Amino acid sequence: MDPQLLPSGVIFGLSIGSIYFTMAIGLSLCFGLMRIISLDQLLYYSLGGYITYSFGVVTGSVWLGMVGGTMVAAVVALAVERLVFRRIYEREITFSMITSFGVLIGGIGVIQFFWGVVPRPVAVPMMTQLNVLGTEVPVYRLVVIGVAALVYAGIWVFLNRTITGKAIRAGIENVEHVEGLGINVSRLFTLTFVIAGALSGLAGGLHAPLIMVYPQMGLEVLAFVFMVVIIGGLGSIKGTLVSALIVGQVVSLGSLVYAPLAQMAPFAAMLLILLVRPTGLFGSALLKR
Amino acid sequence: MTASDAILNVSDLNVAYGESKVLFGVGLRVAPSAIVACVGRNGAGKTTLLKSIAGFVKPRSGTVSFGGTDLVGRASYDIAKLGVKYVPQDKKVFSDLTVRENLELGSYSTQDYDWERVYGYFPKLRQLLDRKAGYLSGGERQMLMIGRAILGRPQVLLVDEPTEGLAPSIVTHLKDVFRDLSSSTALVIVEQNLPLVCAISSKVYALKEGHIVAELSRGESITVDACERYL
Ligand SMILES: Nc1ncnc2c1ncn2[C@@H]1O[C@H](COP(=O)(O)OP(=O)(O)OP(=O)(O)O)[C@@H](O)[C@H]1O
Ligand SMILES: [Mg+2]
Repeated sequence: MDPQLLPSGVIFGLSIGSIYFTMAIGLSLCFGLMRIISLDQLLYYSLGGYITYSFGVVTGSVWLGMVGGTMVAAVVALAVERLVFRRIYEREITFSMITSFGVLIGGIGVIQFFWGVVPRPVAVPMMTQLNVLGTEVPVYRLVVIGVAALVYAGIWVFLNRTITGKAIRAGIENVEHVEGLGINVSRLFTLTFVIAGALSGLAGGLHAPLIMVYPQMGLEVLAFVFMVVIIGGLGSIKGTLVSALIVGQVVSLGSLVYAPLAQMAPFAAMLLILLVRPTGLFGSALLKR
Repeated sequence: MTASDAILNVSDLNVAYGESKVLFGVGLRVAPSAIVACVGRNGAGKTTLLKSIAGFVKPRSGTVSFGGTDLVGRASYDIAKLGVKYVPQDKKVFSDLTVRENLELGSYSTQDYDWERVYGYFPKLRQLLDRKAGYLSGGERQMLMIGRAILGRPQVLLVDEPTEGLAPSIVTHLKDVFRDLSSSTALVIVEQNLPLVCAISSKVYALKEGHIVAELSRGESITVDACERYL
């Protein structure tokens, strides 16, 4: 491996990890609080990408497109929560997995109906390059990393400094006790789901200029995002961050060493970590409710 | 006592988990500022009774009337907001949250930040404010659970085996707290500690295999012997 490629490889990995993190954080919260596996988040990710594309074409600003993508994803997530998840929170986890997979597949069909099957390119909103340790790095990737850092800070402040966030943390431990204090838990569920949907949409919007939008784009990242959630430890915010950073680097640096490693190495890393820590890096036995 | 004197009036409550019936035509009446105890062996249905009142378990039939409002069918958070709060048996505080955050959640719906009152009952909580609740001892957890529940000044407090597994000094402390609380809050206490029950209750219901088999009132026969006869 050429050492000249290392700085850009690290930044490439950080930006990929940032996108995985932005998605995985919502999935992790949804699992922690509602005990659901919400595969439909991958649909909001794809929608975020497509809306970014279309708004970008219409308004001429990909940034505006990302804002729109985030908002549309939040609205669709709200509708799905009301119409679908409301009815199945009480059921087994596997039930949510199957149902949400149905929503995802159905949603992909809707995307194909509106946008067709041909991949669409999304313009990178800023073409500037920055010199980092002797290599040119696209500034857009740094922006992606910055956005993810803001998401982390925002979620941290929300969960630790607002009463609603504290109720969500409490609910991750014990929903019934939260309810017993007079707190409407189903509102917390809706809020958490919509936040997750919005973040998925944002992740899709941020990712769109780096890939191309296509109907199955959600399925492509599915494995990686779930890997991040599992390595981090279900329901842990800090764990999700650390594991997103690890997975991002493994994908990026792995591909520098030997291209097919980008696909394989993260799975190997996950298996290794789970062998040592079966609950993930920051997962606690606490969550075995 | 007539039905209208009671702040909480449970009548003909039937509860089942799936096919297995747990409560059979249970009734109880709680006067304002009374301490009503419910005793019974393990599995008699005591927790089920409190949970049915608090809305965590949906009864098959029967009524739970709280100051004229029917509680059956209401969501548990709604019942807690109305002023009927349940302190669970498991002593599970939110262990990843600090004591302060646990108390804040007790104030969530009512915006009652009268924590001084809580410290009045449990001075120790003031020193523990910034500690993660997971690190508290069993006694401290129980103080936190009760402290959290009395924020918002509930009119009825349903307390499930509060002294289970606690040191005698804490049991004595809780006894005083319950006596004092009862001037403003009616208490329904499920308890196995019969001497404690007899010391503070104005009425005792004995529950056996889901049936109320005795109702002992103050002045008549609230003694340990009398209670034991019905277990
Ligand atoms: N969620 C549940 N599903 C099915 N059966 C239950 C459930 N909870 C309790 N039971 C059964 O209902 C009966 C009454 O249980 P309950 O917990 O109300 O008793 P209890 O008097 O509180 O006992 P303990 O003194 O052990 O706390 C028991 O036979 C118990 O096995
Ligand atoms: Mg019990």
